[in-house]
This record gives sequence, structure tokens and C-alpha cells, in this order.
Amino acid sequence: MLPSPFCTIGPYFPYDFVDGLEDLTHFNGIAAQGRHISISGRLLEQGGKPTRNSILEIWQPDANGIFRHPLDPCHAQADPGFRGWGRARTDAQGNYGFRTVLPGSYSENGCARCPHINVMILAIGVTRRLVTTLFFADSPESVRDPVLDCVPEASRARLFPRLVSTSGAAAGEYHFDFILRGGEETPFFLD
Amino acid sequence: MDYQPYDDKTQLDRQIERYPLSFTRNPSAPLIQRPLTLTERTGPVGLERELGAGPLDLSRACVEGPSRPRAVGQLISVFGRVTDEDGSPIPNAIVELWQANSAGRYIHEMDKTDSPLDPNFTGQGRLLTGPEGEFQFYSVKPGAYPVLESGWWWRPPHIHFSIFGVSWMDRYVTQIFFPGEPLNETDLLLNAVHERDARNRLIFEYDSTSMGAVNAISYRRDFVLRGHRQTPALE
Repeated sequence: MLPSPFCTIGPYFPYDFVDGLEDLTHFNGIAAQGRHISISGRLLEQGGKPTRNSILEIWQPDANGIFRHPLDPCHAQADPGFRGWGRARTDAQGNYGFRTVLPGSYSENGCARCPHINVMILAIGVTRRLVTTLFFADSPESVRDPVLDCVPEASRARLFPRLVSTSGAAAGEYHFDFILRGGEETPFFLD
Repeated sequence: MDYQPYDDKTQLDRQIERYPLSFTRNPSAPLIQRPLTLTERTGPVGLERELGAGPLDLSRACVEGPSRPRAVGQLISVFGRVTDEDGSPIPNAIVELWQANSAGRYIHEMDKTDSPLDPNFTGQGRLLTGPEGEFQFYSVKPGAYPVLESGWWWRPPHIHFSIFGVSWMDRYVTQIFFPGEPLNETDLLLNAVHERDARNRLIFEYDSTSMGAVNAISYRRDFVLRGHRQTPALE
């Protein structure tokens, strides 16, 4: 049987399906373990135009590198205060924002995965979701990771959110602009 | 599970003539092939309590009360099954639904048409598939509405579906149309699937065998989410 055709989310995705889900730092009334961070920025299309009224979803392991999913051999130890999944929408200026935890690293087939967050983008004009992955490291150029290694070397740095500040109230604030087309276009994966 | 990239021939085009945003919002660089690791093979599951997915009757206002009057419009019963590519049912899948009311109006600040809202219709809700991947809900048939900025494009009646399967790879979003609607012939999205069999999988089938409720027209749509069970390697 062939997979059903994907279609655009359109302009009228209910706000009630989004609001509140951009915060992953609490689940079941429990605070998530690990370092709480924010990731915010803009969704931009060709010409740097803001892409308003669009939906971003994220999926990531908890601060200990465990996925809240039965396929993860450690999932019984997953943080009960972390949902792992979140959803946000862009405003009229194309701004989005998530609050989450810094994802943990984990070992897979003997190699350590670079901490990362998976992202999918749904918008008018996007008939099939766009998927990418954001990576976190102090020195991006030295990272080895089986997914990141597939990205052309020249554009790998585009998948690392920028830490806005390392001290004070802004510690743990990351900035990332998704550029759907043109210029410093964000690398997206075949889906 | 094994996940192959979607076959372009059975999907909508990414870029569609006369649909300008499809040209400015899709990447110019080729999409990058990557291995599928644990992070892609896992995904959001078990969120039905937090997201409030359960039995769904969109034909009545979501506010609880002694009398829950029906929304205006043709009452419909929509049912089907969610499976993977092997036909194995996907139970406990959250299905998010949203649609226009019978006058073609959404409760959304982006809807700038002057069609009336219906106080007894929110047009949104979440349900959970049963043990065999089955689902059913009542609603009213949505109206058509214009894409105002296009100057010509009327969207045919349709219902939006967003389904959470078992992984990040089978997360699925679509729109399902009604059979026999004249506006189906000119819809840019529906006609962006070129193979007729594939296009028909975006259209409900009128179900003449069941009545659902006394006065509800039944429509069926099954969904196939991406994913095959992995076949064991040959010894």
C-alpha cells in the first residue's frame, strides 16, 4: 500500500492546537531535568520575507539523551517531566519561540551523537513538510555526527543555533533563523 | 520499521503553477539524503491525555451543557482506518481535525471572508484511533471558500487531518475532499497529485452501506502512513 499524499497545512490551523505546546520544560506537572533553554528566531522565505502563520514542530531526546518512545532501549528511564515534542507558530513578523531543555548526547552504534533537535515546518505553500535538525556544540567545526556529516561541509555551520549569551539572565538563550529559500538557505533533508 | 522517501509521483508537486508561495517557500538546494537513526525512528507517542484526544462529535459545540444544539449544515459521519504500508493498523494514533463551517468560514483571525460564524460549531477537535486503527466522528459538511488574495481560486469543501503515527517519519498532515464537487476540478492542491489513483486517496468515498446516524451521510477515508515492517536479513 502506498503512503497517502501529504498536503499543506493551510492558513487556518487552530491556535488552540498550538498555544502552550511551545513550552517543553514541564510535563505532567513536573519540571524537566537538565538545562532549560529557549530557542527563538524567525522563519523567512525568499527575499528574507517573514513567513507568518506557520507551524514548527520539534522532537528531541531529554537532557540525558533518552527519547520518550518505546524504541529507545532506555525509555523506561526517560524524564517524566519532559514531553520531547513541541509545537509553535510564527507571528506576523515570522517570529517563533520554544522553551525546552538542552538535549543530551547518547551513543548509537558505538558513536556519540551530537546533541540535536529535529524540526519540521508546515506552512501555506509547503505541500510536503520540510524537515531539518539543529545541532548544539561549542565548536561546530569539530563535530562528527552521522546525520550532520551528510550535509555539505560549507553549510553545516548553518544548522547550529547561536548562543546569544553565556552569562546573566540571557544564559541559555539560543537564536536560530530558518531560511526556506535563498541566501544562507537552511539545509533540509530528503523526506 | 523501514521508511523510504515519499515517491514524488504519488504526492503533491512541491511547486505549483499559479500558487506563488510554493515557489518562495521551498528550498532551492537539493534535499539532503541522511541515514535514519534512532532520532528519526522515534517520535511523539502517548500524548492523548495531554492533547485531550477522545470521542469526537464536531457537529455539536464543544461546550458541555444540558442542551448541545447541532451546528447548521448537512450532518456527516466520517470514518476510516489508519494503517502503515503493510496494512497493519496503527492504534492509539492522535488525529487532529479542523474544517470550515457549512458556510465556508473558519474560526481563525486569518479568515477575512464575511461568511457567518456558527455559535454551535468550532470546527476543531482531536480523536484517538481504536485497536484496529479505526476512527469515526460526526461533523457537518464544510462549505467552499475563496482564497481572497488569488482573485479566482475557490477551495472545494475539505477537512484537514493531522495524524501522529509511531515515529517522526510517519507524522502526517493532509486535506481530504468530497466526491463529485465541481470545484475539485480546478483546485490547485488536489490537482497537484498527477496519478489518478493517488489523487483519489485525497477524496472521501461516499458509503452507501451504512447510515451512521438517522440523518448523517457516511463518508469513508482510510489513511496509509509511511512505514514498512523491516524484513529480516537473509542468512
